[in-house]
Amino acid sequence: MSMGPLPAASPSLARLVQELHKLPGIGPKSAQRLAYHLIRLPEDEALALADAITSVKRNVIFCQDCQNLTDISPCSICQEPRRNQGQICVVEDPLDVMALERTHCYDGLYHVLHGVISPLNGVTAHDLKLGDLFKRLEAGSVEELVIATNPTLEGEATSMYIRRHLEGRDIRITHLARGLPVGGSLEYSDDQTLRRAFQGRQEL
Amino acid sequence: MPPPRTYHCDALILKHIPFGESGLLVTFYTADRGKVRAVARGARRSNSKLVGHLEPLTQARLTIRRGLNLDDVEQVQAIESFGALKDDLDSITNGFYVAELVDGFGAENGANHPLYQLAIETLHAVAGESQPYLPLRCFDLQLLNVSGLKPELYRCVECRRELEPGRHRFSPALGGAMCLDCRPTDALVMPLSLQAVKVLRLLDRSSPGSIQPVRMGQNLKREVQGLLEVTLEYWLDFQIRSNSFLKDLNRESRSAVYT
Ligand SMILES: [Zn+2]
Ligand SMILES: [Zn+2]
Repeated sequence: MSMGPLPAASPSLARLVQELHKLPGIGPKSAQRLAYHLIRLPEDEALALADAITSVKRNVIFCQDCQNLTDISPCSICQEPRRNQGQICVVEDPLDVMALERTHCYDGLYHVLHGVISPLNGVTAHDLKLGDLFKRLEAGSVEELVIATNPTLEGEATSMYIRRHLEGRDIRITHLARGLPVGGSLEYSDDQTLRRAFQGRQEL
Repeated sequence: MPPPRTYHCDALILKHIPFGESGLLVTFYTADRGKVRAVARGARRSNSKLVGHLEPLTQARLTIRRGLNLDDVEQVQAIESFGALKDDLDSITNGFYVAELVDGFGAENGANHPLYQLAIETLHAVAGESQPYLPLRCFDLQLLNVSGLKPELYRCVECRRELEPGRHRFSPALGGAMCLDCRPTDALVMPLSLQAVKVLRLLDRSSPGSIQPVRMGQNLKREVQGLLEVTLEYWLDFQIRSNSFLKDLNRESRSAVYT
């Protein structure tokens, strides 16, 4: 591989470049640039970054109920007694939970899938937290499932998959209104759009 | 003279993955350049003008700006978004199936106009179609044909004798039908019924958009699909995921009915 003039004298630098190169969207040249940037950082800043990575790996776990990323399980949202225990909102990833929480118009629980069905990118239903969702629903205390996958083809396919799986069950399934543009992403929608989408959710 | 910095192309959007803060790395199959990957910056923002036009299974006209490492999608205009294909899960899965195979068989830097046309024709044929079996199987066989892997369906691939009425065998590795007298040299040899030969020949001379319906029993359907699937996966060197997804789904809905 062409990594440019890497100083062979520094195996630890080479190792850092190699590790950075593994990150998504980081090519070999960006990895080198980042590595040099890290070397120039004051020691405490560099160590703070290393510590943040270590701490995230040690402490962040999946919530046993909603599968969101959390330091404690059940997470703070699942533990909040005032939340409507009969409503579950299904989202693709943790950032979507944050986006919806910002709107203050939903007080039920969440379920984070950590992705969408996308066979071309190698993601099938088994790779998502769908089994955990269906197990949660089996307990029977959930009255409404609000599907809030992104309005993309894969998001829609995932929504249809959930609906097909729950066919014939005594559970109300709603979907965020398509006020969101097709192909967009919840994470980047403004709060007002999200609010309207929530208010206009419809029976399927 | 240096090549122009931008170019236009018609393409079928196959897939995308998030790229950077708010962009997408999009893979599409173009009519004149084969498979291309390019970055659509800001495309995940809901106010992006690229939004929606870059969804998988959209035929679009793109303006691409050449970059040092990766090219950029500068403009995109949907030509056909195959709405009927996206209405239900089975149709979407059929669409994913076509896209996955075009992704697998389509080469980068190699134009294959017949492959592009085959993909577009197949998506039109299966969109909103309640009986997509024959158009899809026709796609399977024609995909082999346009990829230079046309299976031999009239002679034995070993001894070159014309196939006589009766039972035969099929070897994906040797590229077609074999008579029972010839010894297969590889393990991947499947039985081939006379009926299946006839269906394969029909698929060979038809196109997904215009294939005439024929009456086929479940066993024959399974046999033909199995032969084509093994052949496609033999050349792809991996399992077709959209397929296993559909099988999972059907298994699940069946078990849901009985439990
Ligand atoms: Zn939780
Ligand atoms: Zn022979």
